[in-house]
Amino acid sequence: MTAGRAGRWFLLPGLVFLFAIDLIPLAYSAWVSFYNWWLIRPRDVRFVGLANYTRFADDPEFTRAVVVTTLFTVGAVLVEFLAGLGLALLFVQPFKFLRPIRVLLLLPLFVVPVVGATMWRVIFHPELGVLNYYLGAVGLAPLPWLSDPRLALVSITLVDAWRTIPFMFLVMYAGLEVLPSELFEAAAVDGASAWQSFRHITVPLLTYIMLLAVLIRGMDAFREFDIIFVLTGGGPGTATQTMQMLNYRAFGLGHMGEANAIGIVTLVIVAVMCLVLMRAVLRPQGARG
Amino acid sequence: MKPTRLRATLTALALVPVLVWTLFPIYWITTASFKTELALYAKPPQWLFTPILDNYTRVLTNIPFFQYLKNSLVIAIGTTLGSLVLGTLAGYGFARFRFRASEAVRFLVLVTRMAPRMVLVVPYYLMMQRLGLLDTYTGLLVAYVSFALPFSIWLLVGFFVDVPLDVEEAAMIDGCSRLGVLIRIVIPIAAPGLVVAAIFAFLVSWNEFLFALILSGVEAKTLPVVIAGLNTDAGPLYGEMSAAAVMVMLPNIVMTLVLQRYLVKGLTLGAVKG
Repeated sequence: MTAGRAGRWFLLPGLVFLFAIDLIPLAYSAWVSFYNWWLIRPRDVRFVGLANYTRFADDPEFTRAVVVTTLFTVGAVLVEFLAGLGLALLFVQPFKFLRPIRVLLLLPLFVVPVVGATMWRVIFHPELGVLNYYLGAVGLAPLPWLSDPRLALVSITLVDAWRTIPFMFLVMYAGLEVLPSELFEAAAVDGASAWQSFRHITVPLLTYIMLLAVLIRGMDAFREFDIIFVLTGGGPGTATQTMQMLNYRAFGLGHMGEANAIGIVTLVIVAVMCLVLMRAVLRPQGARG
Repeated sequence: MKPTRLRATLTALALVPVLVWTLFPIYWITTASFKTELALYAKPPQWLFTPILDNYTRVLTNIPFFQYLKNSLVIAIGTTLGSLVLGTLAGYGFARFRFRASEAVRFLVLVTRMAPRMVLVVPYYLMMQRLGLLDTYTGLLVAYVSFALPFSIWLLVGFFVDVPLDVEEAAMIDGCSRLGVLIRIVIPIAAPGLVVAAIFAFLVSWNEFLFALILSGVEAKTLPVVIAGLNTDAGPLYGEMSAAAVMVMLPNIVMTLVLQRYLVKGLTLGAVKG
């Protein structure tokens, strides 16, 4: 490590670019959010103060979007966390063909999200879909996967899980692999059961990684767009209209003031999640676990 | 003695449903792209069929697929180059120079990745409209470099730190400049890191949907937008849609399979190293 002025010439181009491309639009967005600004009436832009924000208080659609976003985020992260942890525990003990199987399990994470959602749309199709055909074949009633308000939310959660369980798996597997094996051997000598050593060794040592994975995924699920857009477009009705979809709709209607206000609100929520993450990450080593 | 046989059986039993769940959608759309219309809608679903290429020829002739492919490729390659140049410089800066609050700045770089893209895209649209950059490569390219850059920087810092310092110092004593050291010594040694960063940047651009949907109309339309369009327009043209989808995901699958070891390392590096 050197202290020197030369460093700035390496850092500046990237940092200036990055912060300019992020901060200028954000500042502009905050500014627009205080205006009554319609895309089709560029000459009739009026300052309205906080009106775009105060409207949310008694807008049932906005409340609904907050609820839907929360349900989707919590549901998706919970499913992905449990499945990812389970898989990681399964892979800690070596078995035959571990490597090739691990590669295959990663594929959904790298497939174009729109393409992944398209696959599931085909599978979920009420009449032509393979899923409903086999449900019928074993004597069950076909399900309206994407057209029933309750089920649609479950379906998009499943597709999100399909895509990102590999991420949870990878992160927790990497965490498990570096745990010192002596601890488990000592516990086994002392007669600890598999559950006991999981509960008292794995969980405490893995807490930090688990927290990290949940927060990163939580922020990603919160802002999910592609999958919902392709599968339901926010419907049926407003059943899967998350805050992102509501934002997109306001933009589509040309209501820039409201679209930006929704954006700023989501940004604040994500920023709070991010602060929690930051505090967890910047905590000194000794305090971990 | 541990009951290893039992364990192996249980592992296999658990893995089968997991593999089916993971791979079936990919398998199903791939086979669908080779089916005739009759086979696509057949009940019961056809598992054995004579593959045909009609869906591919149709999607390549009915829509200007190659134009969209060119758009996607040019933007993805541009994103890769842009984020590699900026990421290499910044990554080296973080790896070799200490300054006040360098840790905090490095973390801030990561924080920029966290902003929901929907928040950025609306003001970005208004700005690009003013600049006359809607529906251009530049508009998308600049946005995508900013998406790929935080990860590139973090990844490359990790690789650059591992380059032995004395090699660099020796070169500098021989009269090499800092930039010369980076180009002639550090980059060749950290080449695998640059490959991983390049692939991630390429995929960020290749996969991106929201910005492409909102900022591109006709000229700069990229493949994910085309796929989503095929999906919702006037009834499902499953055959053509599947063929297009398979072609779009092919680079992803190939890159994942070929470079999986590096990708795994890259993905977990940030999370585990903290």
